Amino acid sequence: MALPPELNDRLTSIITSDSVVLFMKGHRGQPQCGFSAQITQVLDRVLADYTTFDVLSDMEVREGIKEFSDWPTIPQLYIGGEFQGGCDIVKEMYESGELHGALGLDRPTGETPAVTLTDAAATVFQGALQQQPGSEIHVAIDARFQHSFGVGPAEGDETRVPAGPIEVLMDLDTLARAEGLVIDAVDTPQGAALKVDNPNAPPAVQQLPVGELARMREAGAEFLLIDVRPEEERQRAAIEGATPLETIGDFEGVPRDRTIVLHCHHGSRSQAVAEELVGSGFQSVFNLAGGIDAWSVEVDSSVPRY
Amino acid sequence: MALRINRPAAETTDRIRKAIEAALPGAEVEATGMGGHFEIRVVSEAFEGKNTLAKHRLVLGAIAELMKGENAPVHAVDKIEALVPRQD
Repeated sequence: MALPPELNDRLTSIITSDSVVLFMKGHRGQPQCGFSAQITQVLDRVLADYTTFDVLSDMEVREGIKEFSDWPTIPQLYIGGEFQGGCDIVKEMYESGELHGALGLDRPTGETPAVTLTDAAATVFQGALQQQPGSEIHVAIDARFQHSFGVGPAEGDETRVPAGPIEVLMDLDTLARAEGLVIDAVDTPQGAALKVDNPNAPPAVQQLPVGELARMREAGAEFLLIDVRPEEERQRAAIEGATPLETIGDFEGVPRDRTIVLHCHHGSRSQAVAEELVGSGFQSVFNLAGGIDAWSVEVDSSVPRY
Repeated sequence: MALRINRPAAETTDRIRKAIEAALPGAEVEATGMGGHFEIRVVSEAFEGKNTLAKHRLVLGAIAELMKGENAPVHAVDKIEALVPRQD
C-alpha cells in the first residue's frame, strides 16, 4: 500500500529540510528511548548541528516514515535526503568510517593524544573504578566540545589513552579533540567535580559585568559595543556609543579577532547572538551580563529603565 | 491441561540459514540465538561494494518470511554482521 501523496510530500520535505535529519523518539538533548539515545550519542561525536524530528509528537510521521523508508523501527537517519539506517547501522558506519564519508568528513587518524590528569582528578577516577570493579573511565568530547565522563564496561570502538596513573577510553573523534587536554578536580559544596581545560575548544562567550564595561570605556579600550535590540527598544533607552546590530549587517569587514561586546535588555537575546558569532569564528566575544538594565542600575542612572 | 512446548531454537536458526543461502547463493551463514532473538553473520560476495544499509537489507529481505505475523519464529534480529569474503 502506498502512502497518501500529502504525507509523502510532507516526509520528503522533512528529509530534505537539512543535510542531516534524524527521526527519533524525543529530542537530541532528551531522547525518550535507548536506541534514540545511542544514535544521537554517535552523531554528536561527529556533528555540531543536525536536525531531529520527534516522532512521538506526530503519529502520522511516526508510522509514515517506517513505510517511506521501508524500515520497521525508529530511529532513522537521513543524510542528503538518503536513508542511512537505524541505530545499529549508524554505529557500524561510525566504526567502519562510512559515516564520516557519508557526511563528507575526514575520518580522524586515531593518534593517541597527550592527556594530563591532576592528582585530584586521578583520585576521583580511582575512587569510581574501585566502586565499580571491571569498569573503565570513558572520556568523550563531542563536536560541540561538550566534555563528558562515564564509568562502565569497555566498548568495542574506543581507544585506550594513558592519563596519569590510569588509562581512559576515548572514541575516534574524541581522540582528535583531546591533544593537550587537562582534567582536574575541584571541591564544590556537592563534592568533587571534574573540570577540564581543552586547548582545542573554540573560545566561549564570556560574561562581562557592567562595571567592567565601564572600566573598559574609561580606559579607552578598543572594542565594538553592539546593541542587538530592535529600534523601538533603542528609542526608550540606549547606551551611548553602542552600534545597532542592523547597522553591522552580516559582520563583513569586522576582523575575527576584534573584541565585541553585545547587549540587549537583560542579557539573553545578546547571549544568543554572541554564541552565533563565536560559532562563526569570532575569538573575543563578550555578553553584557544583565544588559542595559544592569547598566542603568549600576553604572549610569541617566539611562531610563523600562 | 495443555502442555506448552516451545519449539527448539535450533530449528529456527536452521531456517534462517537456509533462507539466506537460498537468497544469496554461495553465502556462508551463521545464525545463533533463541526466544525469537537472533544474531546473524553472513559472508557473501553479494555484499561487495554495498553500503551497510544495503547489506542489512539483503539479509533482512532474505528472512522476511520468518519475521512476518504475530507468531513469527524470528521476533528480532539483534545483530547482523554482513561481510565480504577476504580476498587472498
